[in-house]
Amino acid sequence: MGPLINPWLLYGLCAVGAAGVALALPRRGVSPQVVGAGVGGAGLLGVFAALGVSNAAHLPNLHFYLFSAIALGSALRVITHPRPVYAALFFVLTILASCGLYIVLGAEFMGFALVIVYAGAILITYLFVIMLATQAPTADRVDALSEYDRVSREPLVATIVGFLMVGALTGMMARGVGTIPAPAPGADPRAGLLMMLPGKVERELRERALIGRDDVILTASDGLPAMDLAARTVRVGSPGGAEQRTAPIPADVRVSNVEGLAFELIANHPGAIEIAGVILLMAMLGAVVLARKKVDLDEHERPAAFGPGGGHP
Amino acid sequence: MSDVTTGILTALGGVGTLAASGGDAAAHAPASGGALPAASPLVLLIPLLPLLGCVLCGLCAAAGVRTKLPAWLTVACLGAAFVAALKMLGDATGGPGTHATIAHAFDWFRIEWGKGPGGVSRELVANFSFYVDTLTCLWMLFVTGLATLIGLYASEYMAGERGPGYCRFFAAFNLFVLSMSCLVMGDNLLLLYLGWEGVGLCSYLLIGYFYQKPSAVAAAKKAFIMNRIGDLGLALGIMLTFVKFGTVEYAELFERIRPFVELARHGRFDEIPFSVQLIPLLFTVGAFGKSAQLPLYVWLPDAMEGPTPVSALIHAATMVTAGVYLVARFIPFYVCSDLALPVVAWVGTLTALTAATIGMAQFDIKRIMAYSTVSQLGYMFAGLGVLTSTGAAFHVFTHAFFKALLFLSCGAVMHGFGGQLDLRKLSGVRKMPGWGIVGVCMLVGCLNLSGFPLLTSGFFSKDMILAQAFTTPGFAAIGWILLLTAGLTAYYTFRVYFRVFEGPSQFEPGDEAHAHADPGDQAHAHAPAGHAHGGHEHGHGQGHGDGHFHPHAPGWAINTVLAVLAVCSTAAIGAYFIDRDHHGWVGRMVDSSTAAWEAPGAGHSGAHAEPPAETGHGAAPGTFLGMDPHAVMYYVSAVVALVGIGAAWWLHLAGRTAAATSRADGLLAAAGPVARGAQGKWFVDEVYDALVVTPLWVLAHVFHLLDKLLIDGLVNLAGWVPRGAGRTASTGQNGLLHSYALGMAGGLAIVLVVALFMVKN
Amino acid sequence: MSAILAQADYPALMSAPTLFHYLVVSAFMFGLGLVGFLTRRNLIIMFLCTELMFQAAGLALVAFSRFHLNHTGETFVIFVLTVAAAEAAMALALVVLLFRRKETLDAERWEEMRG
Repeated sequence: MGPLINPWLLYGLCAVGAAGVALALPRRGVSPQVVGAGVGGAGLLGVFAALGVSNAAHLPNLHFYLFSAIALGSALRVITHPRPVYAALFFVLTILASCGLYIVLGAEFMGFALVIVYAGAILITYLFVIMLATQAPTADRVDALSEYDRVSREPLVATIVGFLMVGALTGMMARGVGTIPAPAPGADPRAGLLMMLPGKVERELRERALIGRDDVILTASDGLPAMDLAARTVRVGSPGGAEQRTAPIPADVRVSNVEGLAFELIANHPGAIEIAGVILLMAMLGAVVLARKKVDLDEHERPAAFGPGGGHP
Repeated sequence: MSDVTTGILTALGGVGTLAASGGDAAAHAPASGGALPAASPLVLLIPLLPLLGCVLCGLCAAAGVRTKLPAWLTVACLGAAFVAALKMLGDATGGPGTHATIAHAFDWFRIEWGKGPGGVSRELVANFSFYVDTLTCLWMLFVTGLATLIGLYASEYMAGERGPGYCRFFAAFNLFVLSMSCLVMGDNLLLLYLGWEGVGLCSYLLIGYFYQKPSAVAAAKKAFIMNRIGDLGLALGIMLTFVKFGTVEYAELFERIRPFVELARHGRFDEIPFSVQLIPLLFTVGAFGKSAQLPLYVWLPDAMEGPTPVSALIHAATMVTAGVYLVARFIPFYVCSDLALPVVAWVGTLTALTAATIGMAQFDIKRIMAYSTVSQLGYMFAGLGVLTSTGAAFHVFTHAFFKALLFLSCGAVMHGFGGQLDLRKLSGVRKMPGWGIVGVCMLVGCLNLSGFPLLTSGFFSKDMILAQAFTTPGFAAIGWILLLTAGLTAYYTFRVYFRVFEGPSQFEPGDEAHAHADPGDQAHAHAPAGHAHGGHEHGHGQGHGDGHFHPHAPGWAINTVLAVLAVCSTAAIGAYFIDRDHHGWVGRMVDSSTAAWEAPGAGHSGAHAEPPAETGHGAAPGTFLGMDPHAVMYYVSAVVALVGIGAAWWLHLAGRTAAATSRADGLLAAAGPVARGAQGKWFVDEVYDALVVTPLWVLAHVFHLLDKLLIDGLVNLAGWVPRGAGRTASTGQNGLLHSYALGMAGGLAIVLVVALFMVKN
Repeated sequence: MSAILAQADYPALMSAPTLFHYLVVSAFMFGLGLVGFLTRRNLIIMFLCTELMFQAAGLALVAFSRFHLNHTGETFVIFVLTVAAAEAAMALALVVLLFRRKETLDAERWEEMRG
């Protein structure tokens, strides 16, 4: 298999994207945001087109393009929108689009968790702080916004640096992604987990009336459920084991994403979960401590805060 | 290397074991002392009492005592030490036969490292124990005795200093006696070295007693540094001894040197290893430094900046004879080298002559005495060199008394005349009221020093050396030079006496009568004019403001001490006549000690019939103009001394009418450059200045510049480079979050790009 | 649903070119987050941009997880989420403190913190 994409074409398209982002960034005077967004989008489109042309047989589905476009477009808006509240809301949109991509990738649990944790919790906190710390623009005028929101800092250099990194990352991934050994076709590393879930198999079989009401999955001599996952059969019988027979496991009875993730987490990363818990606890304590701290206004900020008249209101 | 490490570890372990065993020092004493019997523990009192005195003086200083208490404490302690020394002498000579004994105080060093060849454990043992033989007794006798007397003298002499200075003086005085007793009595070379450095330190402290006087400070430093040169030689000698013989303890050493002595006795010097022959030469360097011999003698005359009692005790009677003691103690080592004794003899002789010539032309009476000390020390070394350690020891013994007497007399004059020491400004002192005793004592001292026949001990001791110089083959030239020196000595000694004590009574007080710093007169020097000196019975109380100065005759303490010393100086003749079979009392003392390498011909009458076979050359004894030296030397040296005294009388007393002028002035003018050279001390100091001090000074400044420019420059450069680099780099540290982030991201991007193009799948 | 979301069809394999699509999206999102962090001067937006970079990383992890047909990547995203949450809590508390002190969110106003 040749390269997924001609690297120089990729670098060129990254440069186009960079130019678009650089144009889109807010700056003093006229800032051609629409033009920038267009150019940037064209660069991205070019990458996908080139990929599609060279690998027509292996394309992601339509949803991918849809969600990617939303995610990247709103991400661009996050970094270009002069109003912080809007930027945060566009970030929510990015999260939602990412969630779509997760679901396309079959990671339903993570997708919804993202929506709940990110869009639901973290971003709301951000919005609170933004609203707390920003004077609400009464008029819908750009001039009323803070200067530091309106004018970005060194857009050109930052974009060059950022897209150097994007170019390098994509270039490397394009070179390396073909070398990753894919799992063999048909071999499902997650299939073995079904052995851990005899209750689920029993329930599924019972719901489909493949076994009787009182039948249970028998236990083999080694203490495991008497399932033959290769043949997708299971030995069932009455609880006493008086009468036994073999029942097939239907193809759609399988380990779901949530179950797989749960096994992975609990079985393989129990320590990491504990540590994550401690981190969250510490963060909470830290936030509480910091929030209780009494802070006075800086000496030279005071006159500005109290207006030109100074003194007490 | 590992051997040494193991040794150190073993040594540490050994120390630990010792500590663990509960310090059963007594159990180790016999082992460390070899086979020598233990001495009476009373011996330990001799160093202990001065230590007690030192501590008590220190306590007096702390308590702010302003009376003469420290002096009385010192005299009491040293007197008791003298009694202990007498007892030690009685023990050492009383029993049948005289054997060295050891008095063990405590273990000092015991370092072992592994086993040497033959399973003998290699160790360094040096205990705080004292080697008592007759030589030790002889030395300790006059050290403690003179220290007691001079302490008494100083109680009056230093009276003007009462207070902290007085305590300091007597503390150092006691410390000196302590160090001297360690030096003389130590049973090993390390203890000797400790004492050696200790006396050097005390000498430094006491020369620099008037530390506000720049000349005193300079003299103290000079003495100390000059001594360091010698001490280096001694230290090297001790190390070589240890390396060569594996021990530093006398008892062992004198056993182990015996085979070499046997070789030397038969003249087979080429079979003695060079390193063994080197040891005495290194010791000699040490001895020359401490005893002010050529070329290291220049510190001694300057050391007269110290108070006179110090000059008398340390720089005339005791400390400077430490070198003589060292050579005498290690005579067995010296005879093992065919070079060491001639070197000692020749250097001693030349020193004697040089110092005598300088002494002839000086005007400062204390300095004349200092040069005469150097000269007489030269005599002693010459005596050792021509193999009459008895003569040398006897001369040390007599010299200690009469030179102390002379110094103390000069000190009394100085004390009484406001620090006046110039013999041109003093005259006829003997006839002044209250100065009679001083005059007589001075006369006794001068007679001794010049070797006046029959009446004086100096005559006999000098005689022994002279006679032996002519007797020992190959040393006749030394004999002639020493004979000449004897004449010069008689001349310059009586030059002082006739100028200062005889003739018309005239005087001119010294500057210290007006200014300060005369140790005795300081109290009134600082007092307002017209103040009466209550503390002095002979107060010259009219003050100095009205232009009158009254000499201040010595009090009872000084007079007593002078009288006692005069008697002792004369009585020392007895030591020559007692026990003639053993070449006199001193001879017996020396013969029964390790210094007993005595040419049998050294004794006078009769004894010289034996040929001095021990010298190993097999040559016949030398003669004096064809006559037996021992027989004729009495008469020859008597004549020489009388001629010297006569010359002094004719040049400096006969017909002299004023203090400042004499017939000698014409002679001086006639002598021209020679006289000027002698007056300028042969410009030795200047030569040293030009040869050593100035080059070192220049070198020091070169190094200073190098240090300043090169080393400091490098160091500063090492500081400037990071500072400049930091200043440049700190422009990036502008506190802007964005620039940091940009730097970080940019760096990461560059790394990624480089990796992208460098890594090929 | 499974017909439309072809790539989610379990346990069908995912091809390397398809994986690369996701990685490109992830890289671009990361780049946008980085550019935003470097250009925006509002402290809160800067933190939002770091969240954007977290998202990009999470997307790549999930894509790899899908490619390898295991859950390790997703597990990792959970921890990324944890760290992001903790960071958001602390960072926002700090931002509030800073804002109280200077009445501004401009990052350039805090240059004295270089010490």
